Amino acid sequence: MSIDWFTVIAQIVNFLVLVWLLKRFLYRPILDGIDARENEIAERMNDATMVRRTAEAAEAEFRAEIESLRSSRGDLLKEAHQQAEAERDALLAEARKQLERDLAARQAQNATEARRYTADLHRAGAEALLALTRKALLDLADESFEHRIAAHAVTRLAAANDDLKKAAGDNREAVVLTRDPLPSDVRAQLERDLAAVLPDVTVRFDTEPALAPGLTLRLGGAQVAWTVDSYLDGLDAVLADRARQARAQGFTDAA
Amino acid sequence: MKLTPDDDTIFSIGDLAINATIFNTWLVMALLTGVSALITRNLRSDVPPNRWRTMLEVIVIGIQDQIQSITQRVDPRLLYFTGTLFLFIVTSNLLLVIPGFHPPTASLSTTAALALSVLVAVPIFGIGSRGLGGYLRTYIEPSAIMLPFNVIGEVSRGLSLAIRLYGNIMSGAVIAAILLGVAPFFFPVVMDMLGLLTGLIQAYIFAILATVYISAASAPPGPNTPRSKQEQT
Repeated sequence: MSIDWFTVIAQIVNFLVLVWLLKRFLYRPILDGIDARENEIAERMNDATMVRRTAEAAEAEFRAEIESLRSSRGDLLKEAHQQAEAERDALLAEARKQLERDLAARQAQNATEARRYTADLHRAGAEALLALTRKALLDLADESFEHRIAAHAVTRLAAANDDLKKAAGDNREAVVLTRDPLPSDVRAQLERDLAAVLPDVTVRFDTEPALAPGLTLRLGGAQVAWTVDSYLDGLDAVLADRARQARAQGFTDAA
Repeated sequence: MKLTPDDDTIFSIGDLAINATIFNTWLVMALLTGVSALITRNLRSDVPPNRWRTMLEVIVIGIQDQIQSITQRVDPRLLYFTGTLFLFIVTSNLLLVIPGFHPPTASLSTTAALALSVLVAVPIFGIGSRGLGGYLRTYIEPSAIMLPFNVIGEVSRGLSLAIRLYGNIMSGAVIAAILLGVAPFFFPVVMDMLGLLTGLIQAYIFAILATVYISAASAPPGPNTPRSKQEQT
């Protein structure tokens, strides 16, 4: 057992070289790699922690929102009920108004139809009255309706001669208006009678379908009429009275 | 029979005779450096470590944890020094199983060189940690009367380290060689297995003692410093 000092020195050098080599190729790379990996793991854990915190915050926010919605559900339902009731009332009011409008329109239509019916009835009555009068005059007195009207008009004109002259003023044309054209003999008679009453006045005959049966004389601003309207009004009054009596009788029977 | 590989000259460079101790040391150095460089040549932090890198990490972290458990602090320089001591000794001792390979640690010159390295490293680490005055003051503690005893203690540490390592490794190799001549079929295998175990233990003890010595010299003085523990060892 001996010590070779050359070997000792060489081994010391070898050992120091080995220290450097292992530091260069083993310790540094391994420790640096571990540090880098630990840093990366720490960074990823920090990122994961941040993501988790963000997720937890979002979860808390959503939970609060859900809780808020749950708590306000009763209020929302109440408000919805109120809105529904208001909507229902508005719809009912609108329906009532529409119903009233329809009823008013129906009543107006009924009134129009009643007026039209009354007018038709009036016209039919006039026609019937005229026909009966015409027939009665012809059968009983052998005289036409137009002759009697013309004769009656001339008689009335004579009574109102002064008033007519005042109303006529400077106008020298009298217009005889009838619903139907007058027979020529009646026209001639009227011309003669009017010439006797109003000598300076010329006579012109004209027709107007809207007029009631009879005769209307216009002279300037004056107008004198002999028609069956007054008789028809009397006929209406009689018919209305009869209708009232019939309705009253119907109610009594129903009671 | 040659008791030390110092006597085997492998080749000569001029007047310098390269013996088996130096040559085998180079082999061990080449093996350690080559394997380390091969595994750590392409390290990337974003790539999971493979099994070889994991093995190196386990070894390095294990050594670092052992040092930290003794010194209670992390000192990369101590890791480089004592870690290399451990890896060199353990590799040399484990290569004992290769027929014809004489471990460098079976040479008293190698163990003396390693002990001298530790002997020199102790004041270097101590001065680096405490400063020159602080380190020299440790020799007169607890009183100046203890100066010669402390000096003798320091020298005897190196001697004990060298003799301990050399004796264990050399004796194992010698006993294996003797038994190989007496009973060549069974006992050498058992002795080689025992040699692996004792070699590993010796490497551990050598590195641990070196760590204790260096940390005792470099740690701040106190009642619970490693120096106090080391004195009890």
